[in-house]
Amino acid sequence: MRRRYLRAALRSVGLYALTMVAVVVVVFTLPRAMPGDPLAALDDPDNSVYVTDPVVRDKVRAYYGLDKPLPEQFQHYVGRLARGDLGFSIARKRPVGSLLRAHLPWTLLLMGVSIVLASLASFVAGVAATWRRGRISDRSLMTGMTVAQAVPEYALAAVLLIAFAVVLPIFPLAGARTPFADHGTVAGVLDVAWHLVLPAGALTLSLLGTKFLLVRNTMISALGADYMVLARAKGLPDRLLKYRHAGRNALLPFLTVVGIQAGYAVGGAVFVESVFAYPGMGSLILGAVEARDYPVLEATFLVLALVVLAVNLVLELVYARIDPRVGAE
Amino acid sequence: MARPAGRLRERRRGLQFPVIGWVGLVLVAVFVGLALAAPWLSHYRTTELAGSPLEPPSAAHWLGTNGVGQDLASQILNGARVSLFVAVLAGGGTLLIGALVGMVAGWAGGVVDAILMRIVDLVLVVPKVPLLIVIGTYAGPSLPVISLIIALTGWPPTARVVRSQVLSLRRRAHIKAAVGFGASSRQILRRHILPEVALILSAGLVGAAGRAIAFEAGLAFLGLGDPSRASWGAILRDANAFGGLFFTDAWKWWLVPPLVAVSLLLLGVTFLGVGLEQRINPRLTRHTGP
Repeated sequence: MRRRYLRAALRSVGLYALTMVAVVVVVFTLPRAMPGDPLAALDDPDNSVYVTDPVVRDKVRAYYGLDKPLPEQFQHYVGRLARGDLGFSIARKRPVGSLLRAHLPWTLLLMGVSIVLASLASFVAGVAATWRRGRISDRSLMTGMTVAQAVPEYALAAVLLIAFAVVLPIFPLAGARTPFADHGTVAGVLDVAWHLVLPAGALTLSLLGTKFLLVRNTMISALGADYMVLARAKGLPDRLLKYRHAGRNALLPFLTVVGIQAGYAVGGAVFVESVFAYPGMGSLILGAVEARDYPVLEATFLVLALVVLAVNLVLELVYARIDPRVGAE
Repeated sequence: MARPAGRLRERRRGLQFPVIGWVGLVLVAVFVGLALAAPWLSHYRTTELAGSPLEPPSAAHWLGTNGVGQDLASQILNGARVSLFVAVLAGGGTLLIGALVGMVAGWAGGVVDAILMRIVDLVLVVPKVPLLIVIGTYAGPSLPVISLIIALTGWPPTARVVRSQVLSLRRRAHIKAAVGFGASSRQILRRHILPEVALILSAGLVGAAGRAIAFEAGLAFLGLGDPSRASWGAILRDANAFGGLFFTDAWKWWLVPPLVAVSLLLLGVTFLGVGLEQRINPRLTRHTGP
């Protein structure tokens, strides 16, 4: 049993490592596959992305090392990545690593809170909707979830912003904390939470639909099973029937979807942050796109891919641990 | 009261297409109409400085003007063209790659199938938005290029659905008979498998088109759109980047219309997709239980 689990775990680790290698190869290939010299614009005074500072120009050139043969470039690139060197930002004139350290925690906070909230809410709502299937409350939940899923994240974010920060000025318009305010620890945490309400609300809404539909579908197919009839005949209370007997069936597929949604949440967070000027990766990306700051954009992709792959790997290992069927072919 | 409802239900059963699908179809049709009529409906070029900045809606400017005085109604109408162009091009491309990979994987089986499905897993797990952003900055901001990269990163879900369909089809008697008569794989895929997966592909096309619309608008919102075309995402970006937007009333005619447009079109596409799915596979909605 334990052997089988180990084998399944090793296989997952291998697959995800392979995926990360593919990601690195893509990031390495892109600037080199484009026709001409992608960095030519940096030396051209007539171009909008012209870099005035010769030191920065040299640093960027050295980072890409485009004058060397390809295998040497790749070796050089991977070596730098392994040492945690993600390059030098053209526009911000700072090492990319320090920029990421400043921005990544905010995105992780926003994503983490939203994924947890959306998971809890969609599970409870899914179970409740199954129990009242076909009735008005079930149908309105279904329609609402479909709408929230169809509308893009930045639209949800803008609607929340207009409703609760402009028309009803309850929450702050932008940012992650009040600037220049000297809070104590407790007031500081509350301030961050207060600024997080609308962005996390928008991201949570956009993550609800898929999980809700999944829980509803798996539960509905479980309802007809013999053990449900038996449990009901034993006179068990509804709460136990709902969560212990029927809801349990939805747990495993639910875990898989949470993993898939980690990737989706990364994209959602980028858009939501742009609307609220939230100081996470989204704002970093927005500024970097405007300045065509290639090293920053490549690094954000690498790091966000690493986060998503790590989440998926952990979930897959948990899955293999709790699902008795994995590895027992 | 009872009779019209009864007749409606009868008609619904006759057409076999749920109400939600019709709602979606009408919404999409409205946008297609607006996009086709855009050259006659819009009175200004999208880049033209047609009025003074931040003019509220009037007879001359139906949706007012933006921060530099461009006519927003013309931009929204042109945005519909951009969105639908990308929907067709990127949606079609996604479908083409997805169907091809799915059919080959499902039919060939064995090592080919295993390798293709690993590639599917690999593309699926990589976060799409950051990937599109990196490719988008290098590939440049033309609409066909944007459509191409959306298609190149968006095909795996379609491939999976088609593959599972082909896997169940290849066990059927008429396919086995075709194999027995010595038909080549290409012939079987084209003459027997393709017609049977066509219905599923139509639902797949709608889904892919919706995702393409959302991604194009998102990329333009982040500043990666075609700067010579007024896309809804680009209007949103300009409004969002305008300092002090919410200290004036301008958000009402600058920020809200593109949001409403992109949301309504995506809702239409989604509803159409739900309708098609229910039509193809009614078991999805009709469950029986205690």
